[in-house]
Amino acid sequence: MEMSKKYWKGIDELKQTPEFIKHKEQEFPNQQTVEDFLADENLAESSTARRDFLKFLGFSVAAATLAACEAPVTKVVPYAVKPENVTPGMPTWYASTYYDGASYASIIVKTREGRPIFVKGNKDFGFTKGGTNPQIIASVLGLYDSARLAHPLEKGAKASWSTVDAGISDAIARAKKVTLLSNTVISPSIKRAISEMATKLNGEGGSKFEHIQYDAVSYAGMREANLLNFGARIIPSYDFSKAQTIVSVGADFLSTWLLPTEFAVQYGTRRNPEGDWMSKHFQFESVLTVTGSNADVRGMIKPSEEAAVLNYIINALQGKSATAGAWKAAADKAVAALKKSKKESVVVAGSNHTGVQQLANQLNNLLGAYGSTIDLNNTINLHQSEDAKALKLAANVAAGKGPDVLIMMGVNPVYSLPNGAAFANGLKSVGTSIAISAFEDETASLCTYVCPEHHQLENWTDHQAKANEYAIGQPTIRPLHNTSSALESLLVWNGTAARGGQDSAVAYDYIKATFAAMNPTGDFNYLTHNSCTAVAITPAALTYTAAPIKDLPKTADTEVVFYQKPAIGNGQFANNPWLQEMPDPVTKVTWDNYITMNPVEMEGTYATTYDQEHGLNLATVSVNGKSITLPVYPLPGQAPKTIGIALGYGRGANGENIGKAAFQTKEYGGHAKTEDGKLTPIGANVYGMLSSAATILYSAAAKVSPAEGIYPIAATQIHHTVMGRDSIVRETTLSIFKNSEKDAFNEGHKLQKLDKHGDHVEAPVSEFDLWAAHPVEKIGHRWGISIDLSSCIGCGSCLIACQSENNVPVVGKDEVRRGREMHWLRIDRYFASDEEAAVGTKKDKETFNYDNAEKATLNPSVVHMPLMCHHCNHAPCETVCPVAATTHSNEGLNQMAYNRCIGTRYCANNCPYKVRRFNWFNYPSYKKFTEVNPAQDDLGRMVLNPDVTVRTRGVMEKCSLCVQRIQATKLLAKKEARTIADGEFATACSDACPTNAIVVGDWNDLKSMIREKSEAVRAYQALEEVGVKPNVWYQVKVRNEDNSLLDHIHVADQAHH
Amino acid sequence: MQKEAAIREPLVLGHKTYHDVTQDVCRPIEDKAPKMWYILFGIALVIGLYGVGSIMYLLGTGVGVWGLNKTIGWAWDITNFVWWVGIGHAGTLISAVLLLFRQKWRMAINRSAEAMTIFAVFMAGTFPLIHMGRLWVGYWVMPIPNQFGSLWVNFNSPLLWDVFAISTYLSVSLVFWYIGLIPDFATIRDRAKKPLAKKMYSILSFGWSGRAKHWNRFELVSLVLAGLATPLVFSVHSIVSFDFATSVVPGWHTTIFPPYFVAGAVFSGFAMVQTLLLIMRKAMGLEAYIHTKHVEYMNIVIMVTGSIVGTAYITELFISWYSGVEYESYAFINRATGPYWWAYWSMMTCNVISPQLMWIRRLRRSLLFTFFISIVVNIGMWFERYVIIVTSIHRDYIPAAWSMHFPSHIDIAVYIGTIGLFFVFFLLFARFFPVLALNEIKTILKGSGQSYKESPDYHKHH
Repeated sequence: MEMSKKYWKGIDELKQTPEFIKHKEQEFPNQQTVEDFLADENLAESSTARRDFLKFLGFSVAAATLAACEAPVTKVVPYAVKPENVTPGMPTWYASTYYDGASYASIIVKTREGRPIFVKGNKDFGFTKGGTNPQIIASVLGLYDSARLAHPLEKGAKASWSTVDAGISDAIARAKKVTLLSNTVISPSIKRAISEMATKLNGEGGSKFEHIQYDAVSYAGMREANLLNFGARIIPSYDFSKAQTIVSVGADFLSTWLLPTEFAVQYGTRRNPEGDWMSKHFQFESVLTVTGSNADVRGMIKPSEEAAVLNYIINALQGKSATAGAWKAAADKAVAALKKSKKESVVVAGSNHTGVQQLANQLNNLLGAYGSTIDLNNTINLHQSEDAKALKLAANVAAGKGPDVLIMMGVNPVYSLPNGAAFANGLKSVGTSIAISAFEDETASLCTYVCPEHHQLENWTDHQAKANEYAIGQPTIRPLHNTSSALESLLVWNGTAARGGQDSAVAYDYIKATFAAMNPTGDFNYLTHNSCTAVAITPAALTYTAAPIKDLPKTADTEVVFYQKPAIGNGQFANNPWLQEMPDPVTKVTWDNYITMNPVEMEGTYATTYDQEHGLNLATVSVNGKSITLPVYPLPGQAPKTIGIALGYGRGANGENIGKAAFQTKEYGGHAKTEDGKLTPIGANVYGMLSSAATILYSAAAKVSPAEGIYPIAATQIHHTVMGRDSIVRETTLSIFKNSEKDAFNEGHKLQKLDKHGDHVEAPVSEFDLWAAHPVEKIGHRWGISIDLSSCIGCGSCLIACQSENNVPVVGKDEVRRGREMHWLRIDRYFASDEEAAVGTKKDKETFNYDNAEKATLNPSVVHMPLMCHHCNHAPCETVCPVAATTHSNEGLNQMAYNRCIGTRYCANNCPYKVRRFNWFNYPSYKKFTEVNPAQDDLGRMVLNPDVTVRTRGVMEKCSLCVQRIQATKLLAKKEARTIADGEFATACSDACPTNAIVVGDWNDLKSMIREKSEAVRAYQALEEVGVKPNVWYQVKVRNEDNSLLDHIHVADQAHH
Repeated sequence: MQKEAAIREPLVLGHKTYHDVTQDVCRPIEDKAPKMWYILFGIALVIGLYGVGSIMYLLGTGVGVWGLNKTIGWAWDITNFVWWVGIGHAGTLISAVLLLFRQKWRMAINRSAEAMTIFAVFMAGTFPLIHMGRLWVGYWVMPIPNQFGSLWVNFNSPLLWDVFAISTYLSVSLVFWYIGLIPDFATIRDRAKKPLAKKMYSILSFGWSGRAKHWNRFELVSLVLAGLATPLVFSVHSIVSFDFATSVVPGWHTTIFPPYFVAGAVFSGFAMVQTLLLIMRKAMGLEAYIHTKHVEYMNIVIMVTGSIVGTAYITELFISWYSGVEYESYAFINRATGPYWWAYWSMMTCNVISPQLMWIRRLRRSLLFTFFISIVVNIGMWFERYVIIVTSIHRDYIPAAWSMHFPSHIDIAVYIGTIGLFFVFFLLFARFFPVLALNEIKTILKGSGQSYKESPDYHKHH
C-alpha cells in the first residue's frame, strides 16, 4: 500500500526551492571543511569574545566531565534466534548418568541459559533411586575448571586434532604391541569400539592389541574370590534394604565402598524405626568411617583381623569356637543377630584380599544370603580392575619393556600405581604414549599425545553399571573447549569415524547404534528422556563351591589402613575446591591428609586437641621402606595399634597443572611454593605404599615415629562431644522406642509457672511466650524442615548441594583453620563420651564431670546432625539487628536482606545454633581466595546460580531455606492456578539426601509430610527451651542396640515419674 | 558558703592566693613545653598513627584481619569499646553527680576527668564503627528519612539504643566540659601575650567578660547540665550492658548487668583518673591542688564500686548454679575452669581482691600504691569485658560450634593504637587547656583569712 501521508521538512522542500536542492545533502547550512576554515586568511584577525571563550570552555569541560561519568557499557546479547527449551530465567532439566570410574548414579542436571549449574540424583529412574554422593554433586564445578585442557597436546605443545590423530593412527599401524590401559569400562559402546579395535589389530588370534582395565582403587580380590567360589569373575548385587542384619568387615559401603550411591538409599529405607523393621548393623573396622559411624554395634579390629572376625562368626554360627580378640563382644552380638535373621542378612568385606573375600562368601553362603540379599545374576559391572595384568604392565613399562603404543584412558597410573615413579621413568621408553585425560596430570604430562576428553556434562555416554540396566549420559552444554569424547577418539584411531569437531555426532550415532543393536524396537529419545532402560538378564546358575583360602594377611605390631575419604575419594577430585573444603564427615578436617590414630594411644606423644593456633604433631610413617610425614589426627574409634591414611592426596607433586585448588596456598593468597619453586601438593601420595601382591592391598605393616614440627590443621569442628546436653541430640534404642511412651526417650522441656490458684505447675515450653506469635500459623505457608537423625548417615551430599545451589564461597584452608568456613549447612558430628549413656544422655546428672565429658570414649557411638538456619519464629537474630536487615517473612522464613546489612555480627552472636556466616573478606575478589574460590575465575564463575546473589564483603549470610526455589514453586503453582502439592518444593539439601533424612514442606498444609513429621513421637526441636520456636524439627536418633544404661535412664526414670 | 570544719583537711594545700592559682594553672600553657612532653607526645603519636594505619588496613581489607570467627563475632573490638566507655564514665560522674552532691573536692579533678571522658568516648566510639562489616553504610543506624522505601531502623535492637546512648552522652559531656572551660579560657586570653594565642583563646572563650551576669548564667547552665548529665551517667552503661543482657547467650543474658556495668564503669573510670592525675600532678607541679586527700577520696570510690562489682561477680556465679539452667551454669563453670580460666582469674584478682586493699588507710593514702592499683584495676576491667564477651560466646549452646579466640596482630595494633591516640589527645589537652578548673578552685581557697588563722598572731589571741 502506498503511503497516504507525506511529510516535509519545511515549506522549502515542498516547493523544492533551488536553495533547498543545493543544501539537501548537508546536515548544517554553511558547512565548511576544517581545511577551508584553517586556510582562511582572516582567521588570525577574527576574535572570539572573552565571554564566548569562557562559554565554550565551560561547555567543553562540562561535556568532557559528563562523558567521563558515563557508566561502562555492559553488553547483553539477546538470542537472535531463541533456542528451543531455553527461556531466560527458567531452568531446563536433563536426565543423565554419572560415571567417573568409581562412582555411578543416575542424575538430573539443571541448566540455566544453557549452562549446567546443579546436579542431583534422579529419584524416578535408575537403580540408584536418587542416591548421590558429594563428588557427583560437585562434578558440575569440574566442568568449569580452568585447568581443563582446551586442545590436544603433542609432546606438551598445543596441536590440532588432525595432527594428533594422524600421529597416533600412524603409530598404531606401525606398532608391534598396542596396549590400552583404561579404568573400568562400563560403556557398551566403548567396549564395542575396543573390541572393534582388537579385531582390527589382532586379526585372527593375534596379540598386537591388549586391553587392561585398571582402577586406582581395586576390587580385584572380590572378583577373584567369586571366580574361585562361583566360577565367574563377578561382583554380585547387594540389597541392604532386605537385610535384617548387616555385617560389614572393613567395608565403608555407605560412602566409598563398591556402589554407595545405591547402598546408601537401600540402607536408609531400613533405618527408620517406624518401619516394619529396622536393620541391625554391625561394623568391624580400623578407621572410623562414615559407615562405622552409623553402625549399631562397632568393633575395632586391626586390618589383619578381618579374616579372624569372619572366621569367628562362621565358626560360631556352626557352634564351633574360634579365637577372638577385643572385638569378641561385638562379634558375639553379630552372631546372635545373624542366627535370628539367617538368610535375611548380608555380610560384606572391604578387603581387596581374595582370601578375606572368600571368607565373606563362605559366611554369606552359610547364611543363605545368596538369592536373598545378594543377587549373583544381576552383576555389578563397576570395578573390573585387573590388578595382576596392570601390575605386570606397570613392571614392564618401568623396566623399559613397555608396548610400542600405550593408550591410557581415564587412568593416572603415574599417580596411582604402587610403582608410579618407576612407571613414569619407564614411560619415556614407550614409543608412543597417549593419554585420554581432561587434565595435563601426572601421567598426561609425560605422554607423547594428550587427547583431552569432554567433561561428562558435555558428552554422550552410555553405561551398563549393573547387568539389568542400560543408561545414557547426555550432554547438557556444547563442549566448552576443543575436546573430544574418548569414544570418538578410539573410533577415529581405529579408522571407523572421522573427527567431528565440537559439534560432533560421532559418539551420539555410535551409541544410538549400540542401543539399536541391543533393543531394536527401543526408542532412543525416550531412553534419553528417562536416561535409562531395563535390560533383561538371563539367570546363570551359579552355585557356591568351597575353595582353599590362601595367604591370609599376617598381623603386625602396628598396621596402617589406606582408605578413601568421601570427598576426595581416589584423588581425581583433588582440584575441586568444594570437595577439598567439605569437612570429612568423621574428622571434620578440610583441605588435608593426615594419619588417624586413637587419642588414647596418642596421649603423651602427640597433641590430642587442636584449634586455630594449636596444630597437630607430625609423625613419620614407614611402610615397605617408604616413608612419609603427616600430621597425626586424634580419631576416637580408631582401632588400637592401627593408623589410617587417606588415599587421593599429594596430587600434582611435580607441579602438574591439575587445577588451582589442588595445591597449598599461603596466608595472604598465592600458592605456597616448595624450595625448588614447585607448587606444594596437599597431603602426601600414599599409593606408593600399597603392597602389590596378586591383588593390591590397602593395609600394611607400618612403623610410626614422632617427627619434629607442628602442623596447622583446618577443621570445622574442634569440640567433639555434646557434653551430655539432651536438647541438642537425642538418642535412644529401638527397644525403648518400641516399648515406651514418648516421654521416656523424647521428653519435652518443661518450665514452671503459676496456675490460676497460685500453685507452681510444670508446663511445656510452647506455652511460654515473650512475644505475640508471628502470624504464620494457619495463614498461607509456613515452611519447615524435619531432619531424621536416625536415617542421616552424615555423607555430606547436602552440604555440597547447598554450596552449589547457594553460591557459598570457598575460603581455603587458612580461613577454615580460623573458624570461618561459610557453609550454610553444616553437619555436626558428636562422639559419645564416658560420661554419657548415649550421645546427649548423661549417665548420672549428679556426678557428671565436664572434663571427662569433653573426651570421646575409646570406641564412641556417633551422631551426625545436619544444622542449618532454624528459621525461628521468635528469632533472636531479628530483634538485635539495628537496621532490620534480617526479618521474618509471613511464611515463617527468617530472611536476610544483604543490601541492608551493615555487618555488626550481633545476629550471629545471638544465634543459639551458630548458623550465621559473615563475609570477613570480599571472597569474590580478594587476592587471598583467587586460588580457591571458583567465583574468582572467569570460567568458574559460570557455575554460580543466577537466582542467588553473590554476597559482598561485610554482610552476614545464612541458609535461606532455598527461598529462590520456594518462589519458583509458588510461581509455577500460581501460573497453573493451584495450590502447592506436598513434596513439590524441595531444598537443595533435601533434594540431595540419599536417605531422605531431610524433609521440607509447608507446615500449614495439614496433610503434609512435614506436618506429620513435626507431630511424630520422635520429633523434637533442638534447644526448645531457649524459646525461639524454630521451624526445624529433628527426629530422635534410634540405634538398634542393647543399652542397659539407657534402658535404666529412659525407662526406669519414666516409671519413677 | 559552706560550713568550715576545723578538722577537715584543706582541699588546697599551702597558702595559695588567687593569683597563685592562676599562675599555677596557666604556667604550663604559657611556658614552653618541657622536653618530656615532646617525648611523650612523640611516642603517643607514633603508637596512635600505627593504630590509624591498622584501621585503614582493616577498612580496606575486611573485618577478617581480626581474629574473629563464625562463633566469636565480637572479641577485642567490643571489649575495647566497653572498656573505653567505662573509662569515660568517671568524668561526668565527677563533674555532674559530685556537683549535685556538693563535693568540693571534685574541683581539682573534674576538668581533666572530663577531658579524659571525652577522649575515652572518642576511642570507644571508634570500635562500633570499625567493627561493622560495611562502615560506609553505617549511617543506616540513624533513623534518618531515606529513599529506600519504608526502611527504618529497628527500635528493638540494643545496638540502636547504644547509638543513641553514646552519642547523647558524648554531646552532653562535651558541652558540659566546654561550658566549664569558658571562664578559664578567658583568664588565659587575658594573660596571653602572643597575638595568635590571644586570638585563639578569645574565640574559645566566647567573649567571656567575667561580669556577674555571666557568672550567674554560668552557674545556672552548669547546674542544668549537671542535672541532664546525671541520668546519662547511669543510662549510658546500662544501655551498653543491654547489648549483652537482652541476648539469649548464656553469660550475657543476665538481669544484673545494668547496675553491675555502671559500678564497673565508675570503678574503671576512677582508676584511669588516678593513673592520669598521679602523673599530671607531678609533671605539672599541681601537688598542692591534687593531693593525698583527693587520691584517698577517689580510692574510696574505687573501693566501694569495686566491692559492688565483686558482689555482682559472686551473685552471677551463685545465680548460674541456683538457676539450674544447664547452659547458664556451664557458662560459668567454663569461665572459671575452662580454657579461659586465666582471664577469669585475672579479672577476679584485679577487680575483687585489689580494691579491698583500700580498706587499709596507709595503702589508700600511698600514691605509689594507688598508681599501681589503678593500673591493675584497668587491666582487670579489660579482662572483665573480655571474659563476658568471649568466654560466653566461645562455648554457648551447640558444642560443635565451640571455638577459641586468638587475637591477630591487627587486633592488638588497633587497641594499642587507641591508647596512643587517647594520650595524643590528652597531652594536647594538658598543653593547651587549663587542666584545673581554675576559676572554680578559687571558690574554695581559704585565702588570707586562713593564712591569718594559721599565723602565730591568731593563736596568741586565743
